Amino acid sequence: MLAWHAVLFAQERFPRPEFESGYVYPEHQMPADRAPVWEYIDLAVLIGALSLAAWLALKVRSRQGLLWLSVFSLAYFGFFREGCICSVGSVQNVALALFNKGYSIPLTALLFFMIPLIFALLFGRVFCAGVCPLGAIQELVTFRTVKLPRVVESVMISVPFIYLGISVLSAATESQFLICRYDPFVGIFRLDAPYTMVIFGGLLLIAGIFINRPYCRYLCPYGVLLNIFSRFSNKHLTITPAECINCRLCEDVCPYDAILPSDVGRPVVDPEKERKRFLTYIILVPFFAAAGAIIFGTLSPVFTGLNSDVRLAREIRAEAESGIPAVSLAALGFKEAGTTEAELFEKEIQTHERFRKGSVWMGLFLGISFGLSLVSLSTRTRRTGYVPHKGKCYSCGKCFQYCPVKLNKISNDKA
Amino acid sequence: MIKLEEKDLKILRGISTGAGIFTLIVAITMLLSIVQLKALDPLDNPAIVSVKEEFDKDHENAVKAEQVRALDLMSRKAYFSSRRQVETGSYLLLAGAVIFIICQRLIADSEKNLPSVPGEKTDQSTENIRYAKYLAGTVAVVTVAAIVSSFILRNELPDLSGKSIARAEKKKDKKEKTKGLESVDIDNFSPDPTNFPFFRGQDGRGIAGGTGYPVEWNAENGTNIKWKTTVPKNGKSSPVIWGDKLIVTGAEGNDCEVYCLDKNTGEILWAAPASGLPGQPDVPPDTDHDTGIAAPTAATDGNSVCAIFANGNLVCLDMDGKLKWGKNIGTPANIYGYSCSVILHDGHLIVQFDSDEKVSMMGFDTATGELKWETLRRGRSTWASPSVATFNGTTQVLINGNPEVAAFDPATGKELWAIEVLSGDVAPSLAINSKFVYAVTDYARLAALKPGPGPSIVWEDNMFTSDVSSPVATEHYLFISTGVGDVACYDAIRGDTLWTHYFMDQFYASPIIADEKVFLLDRSGLMHIVNAGPEYNLIAESPIGEPSDCTPAFSDKNIYIRGRNSIFCISQN
Repeated sequence: MLAWHAVLFAQERFPRPEFESGYVYPEHQMPADRAPVWEYIDLAVLIGALSLAAWLALKVRSRQGLLWLSVFSLAYFGFFREGCICSVGSVQNVALALFNKGYSIPLTALLFFMIPLIFALLFGRVFCAGVCPLGAIQELVTFRTVKLPRVVESVMISVPFIYLGISVLSAATESQFLICRYDPFVGIFRLDAPYTMVIFGGLLLIAGIFINRPYCRYLCPYGVLLNIFSRFSNKHLTITPAECINCRLCEDVCPYDAILPSDVGRPVVDPEKERKRFLTYIILVPFFAAAGAIIFGTLSPVFTGLNSDVRLAREIRAEAESGIPAVSLAALGFKEAGTTEAELFEKEIQTHERFRKGSVWMGLFLGISFGLSLVSLSTRTRRTGYVPHKGKCYSCGKCFQYCPVKLNKISNDKA
Repeated sequence: MIKLEEKDLKILRGISTGAGIFTLIVAITMLLSIVQLKALDPLDNPAIVSVKEEFDKDHENAVKAEQVRALDLMSRKAYFSSRRQVETGSYLLLAGAVIFIICQRLIADSEKNLPSVPGEKTDQSTENIRYAKYLAGTVAVVTVAAIVSSFILRNELPDLSGKSIARAEKKKDKKEKTKGLESVDIDNFSPDPTNFPFFRGQDGRGIAGGTGYPVEWNAENGTNIKWKTTVPKNGKSSPVIWGDKLIVTGAEGNDCEVYCLDKNTGEILWAAPASGLPGQPDVPPDTDHDTGIAAPTAATDGNSVCAIFANGNLVCLDMDGKLKWGKNIGTPANIYGYSCSVILHDGHLIVQFDSDEKVSMMGFDTATGELKWETLRRGRSTWASPSVATFNGTTQVLINGNPEVAAFDPATGKELWAIEVLSGDVAPSLAINSKFVYAVTDYARLAALKPGPGPSIVWEDNMFTSDVSSPVATEHYLFISTGVGDVACYDAIRGDTLWTHYFMDQFYASPIIADEKVFLLDRSGLMHIVNAGPEYNLIAESPIGEPSDCTPAFSDKNIYIRGRNSIFCISQN
């Protein structure tokens, strides 16, 4: 709603007054581009904020510090930089650059994509902890946490994978930047967005009062990559500053269900059964991958609706076949541009072919992801203490206060 | 973490409740303001509309002009003030929400959230198997949904094997080849080069047949003026032509007449009275100065000349001016004065009877005057005139009503289709081409309609709307001239504005397309002639030297214009 007034200003709603006095209307003024130096400042702020987040999460273990960092990131990357440039959206720039030789990705976009991933590889998801403005705005509105049933968590966790797949496919085929188009919070940052997106963002924030970070958990496509990279992190936030005493006080406190329990005292089932299940899933991974490739390859014509050329071709074809007038602005532009229908249909076929190939790869990725998830669920662990799930943990530090183990400084001991 | 005492918490709760209520009130107020702003058009304010209408009737009135300016400014100021309030409200909303969240966070942080005591530890395998089941279930649902949706959507997807494209091309070629034949099936409109039988010519569509019409003339020095004849009685009706005969009407009070002029010499061949009919009111109805008693244009089909007047007198004459029959069909009660012209179709005289008491369509037998049918209409009276067109093989009489644009069977009066389009004072008649029907009125909108059963609005616009003058359409372009002097050309199919031009003077007469040119007569009597194409190209501007609100007639390379006092024949010397 905050942005609605801005939307109202975006169009001329009624005729201008007519002046007989010779008054000349002032020309529309367009804001000047930002100076290039800001790109470097943004990068410096990103690296600085990530370093600070890593230090606060891993070294200082300060939840308060991370919250204040979130406030800063929301103010800078959100309201001041108006949500752009953004690491979440940079996925699309990278996808476009990878599959289109004609597109040269801006260095800033590439670094905004890579730097949080490098930090995830080194320190876990510290980007989510206090740097991402989308995460920050959700983190700050949460004050009445309700833990969702694990079945909901298990079901919804697949959505970001599919969203990432479709977003990359859409960007790689030069169709549209879905993530930016459906960014629920950018309208609030800019005070300008379609009503539907502002309402969507508002509803997410209201839901966020009770459900921690709904966008991060159930939609964020960049979170999928951070999840994967963070699993291999060299150092990661820990629940306890020293050795876990298996008190179980932290077992249910993580709103993201990202605390892995200690295996100490857990009943052990027949290891042979587990081994068989593990091997079965390993063998099934290629089948899941093939099934995903076939299913999504078959679905590729549906995804082509994301492409404006394909939509235009359909409209022009409907006019030719059924006499339904093609009245969209795109159709008008096409007719005025002098491009022939044959050229348009040829381009449509090429786009379909690109989507077909892309959809197969997307299906492969989703099938492998599903297979590996099953494999990971069939592996036996030997944890002697409670640890965060490196992939799912947002490094928010909520669990710190529940650990009774405190690290006293040596100087105090000596005293 | 800040340590808070109970009294601090009480204060925080109070502030939080206050901020929450404040935020809610601001949000609801903003919501209502936004809904109101979205629906509000500052220039649609009834006070402005009313003053503008009064000003339109008396353009010399400086006081009214100043009132229009003042109200316009006030309304715009009010509108932008409301928008500033919404903008301010958004910041208040943000401030309220931030205070509410900060208070709630502080309260929540001060509450001791003790961790729950977990139950017995489950074995690792059971837990993982459960997760695996959830995951597999989700993937299964997604897969089934994907497969089902692909099958559902597949029928709507193109066949990219090339067959579909080839089929479309083939169909298009066939369509191109049979275009001429098809247009006969759809719409047999082909304007006659000689006869201009109704208001706005053949079928009342604003398109004249023939070529070679003059574009330059000057009544003051006589350039290309073939003749000029003063009509005995005044009238705003437009001339109609059949063969060599030009027909106009005139009236003074209840004394109504129909005149026939020789179109080649301007000589008045006969003047037939249309007064003293049974039922005629003793006193003529009050009408607006711009309308008068003889505003409806007569109609002729070469056998009969039919005319109607604002007092309800309806006459049918033969081509020599002898009365075949005449009757008074009731005086239309009408604020500006009755102005709907009549048309003839297949032995039927079609009358659009628009009165404050009744709105209907009537069909009279032209030979006997017998009322063959009458169909009551819904809505309010208008000042527009009927047109004729053929869609999907059905010939129909179309009217621009309020609120419905409707079509009727000319033989039976049966309503064929109707669609609500306009509101307010509807005076412009319809523009028609083989695909669409175009309806417009000022302060409402311009809309392109797909005619036939199940009609629909294809596109609409509200930038250029006429109050009196009727639009005219070719297959590709729609032209509209407004009461403030604007002329706009739209893409007839898509509704995009292709060009506009401001001509300084108002347009009441309807534009006529002839010889691929649009003839636009403004109220001062200056004819602006532009190309009937997608780009503005002024060909000429030629005056008749006296004001005119009548639509010109075109016949055999001559143009006939009725001015305030005289009728002019313009012919290339």
